[in-house]
Amino acid sequence: MLSNIFTVSFLVSLLASTIRLATPILLPALGQIYTQRAGILNLGVEGTMTIGAVAGFTCAYMSGNLWLGVLGGMFFGMLWCLIMAWLSVTMKANQVIAGTALNILGAGTAAYAYRVVFGIQSLPPQIDPFPTLKIPLLGDIPVLGTIFFQHNILVYLAFILVVVTWFILEKTIFGLKIKAVGEHPRAADAKGISVSGMRYSAVLIGGIYAGAAGAFMSIGYMNLFTEAIISGRGFIAVSVVIFARFLPVRAMWGALLFGFASALQMRLQAQGIEIANQFMLMLPYVMTILALIGSSKKAEFPSAYTKPYSRLER
Amino acid sequence: MPRQFKNIINQILMAVLTIALALLIGAVLIAISGNEPIEAYKTLIAGAFGSKQRFSETMVKTIPLMMMALGTSIAFKAQLWNIGGDGQFIFGAILSIIVGLYSGFPAFLVLPVSMVFAIIGGGLWAGLAGWLKVKFNANEVITTLMLNYVASYFLSFLVYGPLKDPKGFDFPQTEMLSEEVQLPLFATGIRVHAGLFIGIAALIIMIFFWKSTFGFKIDLIGQGDPISRYAGINVKKTIVITMMLSGAFAGLAGWNEVYGVQYRLLDGLVSGYGNLAVVIALLGGLHPVGICISAFFFSALLTGGATMQRMTEIPYSIVDIIQGLVIVFIITRTAFKWKGGRRIHAK
Amino acid sequence: MEALAVDMQGITKIFNHKKANDHVDFKLRNGSIHGLLGENGAGKTTLMNVLYGLYQQEEGHIYVGGVKQEISSPTKAISLGIGMVHQHFMLARPLTVVENIMLGKKSGKRFLLDTKQVARELVELADKYKMNIDPSAKIWQLSVGEQQRVEILTAIYQGAKILILDEPTAVLTPQEAETLFETLREMKEDGKSIILITHKLEEIISIVDEVTVLRNGRLVGSEAVTKKTTKEALTRMMVGKDVLFDFPKVTKEPGKVKLALENIHATSDKSLPAVVDFSLTLREGEIVGLAGVDGNGQKELCEVMTGMRPATSGNYLLNGQDIVNKTPKFYIDRGIAHIPEDRHIIGLALGWNLKKNLIIKNFQKPSFSKYHLLKKKEINAHWDKMMEEYSIKADSGEDIARALSGGNQQKVILARELNDNPQVLIANQPTRGLDVGASEYVRKKILDARNNGTAVLLISADLEEILQLSDRIAVIYDGALMGILPRGAGAQAIGMLMMGKKQEVEEDASSI
Repeated sequence: MLSNIFTVSFLVSLLASTIRLATPILLPALGQIYTQRAGILNLGVEGTMTIGAVAGFTCAYMSGNLWLGVLGGMFFGMLWCLIMAWLSVTMKANQVIAGTALNILGAGTAAYAYRVVFGIQSLPPQIDPFPTLKIPLLGDIPVLGTIFFQHNILVYLAFILVVVTWFILEKTIFGLKIKAVGEHPRAADAKGISVSGMRYSAVLIGGIYAGAAGAFMSIGYMNLFTEAIISGRGFIAVSVVIFARFLPVRAMWGALLFGFASALQMRLQAQGIEIANQFMLMLPYVMTILALIGSSKKAEFPSAYTKPYSRLER
Repeated sequence: MPRQFKNIINQILMAVLTIALALLIGAVLIAISGNEPIEAYKTLIAGAFGSKQRFSETMVKTIPLMMMALGTSIAFKAQLWNIGGDGQFIFGAILSIIVGLYSGFPAFLVLPVSMVFAIIGGGLWAGLAGWLKVKFNANEVITTLMLNYVASYFLSFLVYGPLKDPKGFDFPQTEMLSEEVQLPLFATGIRVHAGLFIGIAALIIMIFFWKSTFGFKIDLIGQGDPISRYAGINVKKTIVITMMLSGAFAGLAGWNEVYGVQYRLLDGLVSGYGNLAVVIALLGGLHPVGICISAFFFSALLTGGATMQRMTEIPYSIVDIIQGLVIVFIITRTAFKWKGGRRIHAK
Repeated sequence: MEALAVDMQGITKIFNHKKANDHVDFKLRNGSIHGLLGENGAGKTTLMNVLYGLYQQEEGHIYVGGVKQEISSPTKAISLGIGMVHQHFMLARPLTVVENIMLGKKSGKRFLLDTKQVARELVELADKYKMNIDPSAKIWQLSVGEQQRVEILTAIYQGAKILILDEPTAVLTPQEAETLFETLREMKEDGKSIILITHKLEEIISIVDEVTVLRNGRLVGSEAVTKKTTKEALTRMMVGKDVLFDFPKVTKEPGKVKLALENIHATSDKSLPAVVDFSLTLREGEIVGLAGVDGNGQKELCEVMTGMRPATSGNYLLNGQDIVNKTPKFYIDRGIAHIPEDRHIIGLALGWNLKKNLIIKNFQKPSFSKYHLLKKKEINAHWDKMMEEYSIKADSGEDIARALSGGNQQKVILARELNDNPQVLIANQPTRGLDVGASEYVRKKILDARNNGTAVLLISADLEEILQLSDRIAVIYDGALMGILPRGAGAQAIGMLMMGKKQEVEEDASSI
């Protein structure tokens, strides 16, 4: 059985799966790059993604249109993060507790909403998820085609967003302001930038991405909604951002790394490999810890990280 | 001292208001889901206190919740955001079961020794996160959370694998502890057990803890790194010890569950008590007595909520929502207190 | 009649029940350089922050170019042509010069970061005022003088016709200061109006056309600066006729050497040398004043002496024993008391009550704890005694430290540090930000400690304070000891050393 691993087909399916499994980590991570660079640590991503998942699924199911599902996920994800923005920026509350609160609240609200809409059914409602979109020509290349060009559209979008995020952060004034607000909010304020305005924007953008990622889970990766659908990916995304030193391209590699761990775990399990399944399942979480160890030196964080800003403090 | 009195009354009032508001919103949500709020809450209260049996169920849950919240409060006081209670609980439970099933100690030793090991287990698991923070500046929120998952999977591995009960029909659970090492019950038919005494002991210890020099030190750390160092405190050492103390209580809660309720280790032993411990700790103002009362309240909410779910159509998730709302209200309220732009906690 | 560029009338600004500005008037004529003079804490920066829209005044009106304005934010101020260069630069360190400047540009329709265009405009502007600038350099790579130039250029680039500079020479070498003044003269020729906040008299005399003097938040007076203006007259306005600090000195001579620093070296957080070959002795019952402009290594020296920073080499002797590079607790236990520069972050637990703040260093001693349990009664009694002895204005020991005024907060710290009759006292900027009454009290207490045999190191940027209290005066510059002068040395001699000019000691009888 071990010999099965070293076939090309195993490798191809492993790598393709890596890309697919990286998506629900990459998407929220990209959004969190905005949020964290603006100086806010939003640990409520997990809850936001759950809300996005249930919203996405519900909208898609009700309307019959998958894209409405995605939009629904994005919208409700953004709305959920509005609470976080209000708590961290306006109320200047402790960001760690606020994020934890939103997770608990998100889990409950999502489950509750699902129940209210769908009730208890013997067979959980399902939909047809996003189909695989094979890119013409490129998708036909042997090996590489299968790995890279045969995914659903949301996966492609996620990776395109890596470039978009890089562009916005490095090449636009908006991105510059976001960085300024996280580095030296007092300076930004003195230059006439609205610190709270920028921070709200950053948190809401994070919410949109997270909501989209949640929707991806329920209507792009799986085809239904369960309470545990996110299983820690939100936290892994936050860690990936730190691990990637807040850079989009590195975040992509980080997400791929985690996707690889998950994909490997699933495939080895399917092959009946004797390594206990649970240790493979642990892998992404252990990796997150290792990633944090390697990359948390104080010097690398935006200087105003997790510090609320107030003009009055002298 | 009248002013201290006023402060306490104020705090209690605020806590009550917070809960009331959360329950109110819960009622609205219940109504939206097509059910009768008053009926629902009646069922909930009955489910928590209705009979001797129901009341004892509430008590059973109060003990571990209180223990875990006490542990959480130690870390929180030092501004260490330990939300890994579940993982520390599990580790404590694992070590305690190993002592109980495989150590070969005589019965009268098993209880105390297993308790000690549970405390050590929980303490080490949390201490690990503390060490990672001190050595590598790894954010303890994420590390303790990740360690939750790791512990959970490790437990799964054990009960599906090496520790599985050979006579257990392939269920993911260990053998059962022999009767002589189980914590005695108070009366037949109810599940309240001698762990209650341990819980009370923990509570009393904590009350004295905050009056001690250790408590003072931990509280000072929570005021900031610069002033702690200025005052001569070894901040790094204290952080690790604080985390260990915090995890120790969670481990104790794990022991309590294994030796008092389940008598064995099984998959899914812990179901989100850790998150709830955070809420209880905050609602109780990080004070032992406040925590005790909050733990009781939430235990009633959980027990009653389970009954409510069985007897009515109301989803259990309402309880989660109420939990989340309570935290949101608490931090909003704390932020209002300092309105004028001051930070509450500097990180 | 020529319109005033800026006319501020009756400005009152209150922080924490304290009037930082009390009905202050300020008039800036077009095309002039106007000095705003006063001691530390006089309210100069506050007044300008009001003009720049960072604060809003409680009372008073502001007219810009003759038109009444509500300046609600820096954006509004910028749109009115007001620019400000703060004492602590408002520059984001990891970004480049151009990026920092573009932060302020009213982007409006602008979406893309067009650094090339802006860089070109920037270089043009810099050349106009004969400044050297590299647009693509990252801020952390620039020297302090260069960073300041960026700040000034930013303000001009945003269209400032009125430029406010807050203590600009505090962080410059004498040569850089001269270059700055050249630039300011160019700008004045160009029709700009400039406000120079300073507490340095030489600057007022050398470059300023008119001066407004503030003291304790109030306006003392406003006048033109002519050849006849003297430093003495200005000082009298700044400090007030009453020379407050004539303490009758107990003529106890200092005793034997208690503490000795020998060739101490230390580096800063940025791994640059901060303390260089520093040697100093402190004797029993003596105050050694350490004078110097802020940022010349005082902070790092203090930290070495209290165990918060390692010394990379050198000896640190207490009663003859080497105690270099030990833990903070070690020094505390050996009676080295420390009044820190920053009473809010280091000196006090702001969220704690006063009783607890008093015992943060000795809560484990037998007087306050038994079998590791805190002795509540003793702690309460201790507070009562300290409150009385140090006249701390608070309702009770339960008051939260944050709520106290600066002066009372400092008294709590004094009570804590001085009560046990320390061997050594390190007082770092002990009267910064305090009003006159509180300052007087603090200085008296330091003197009492000295008379009780404590060896005192008084670190202060306030020359007046140094002159009044010190038995010997040392000067630190760029981390090195410039010289030691005896009591009675003139401010001018000290000032020279502070500027970095190692000189022969002048027995100058002129006082300030």
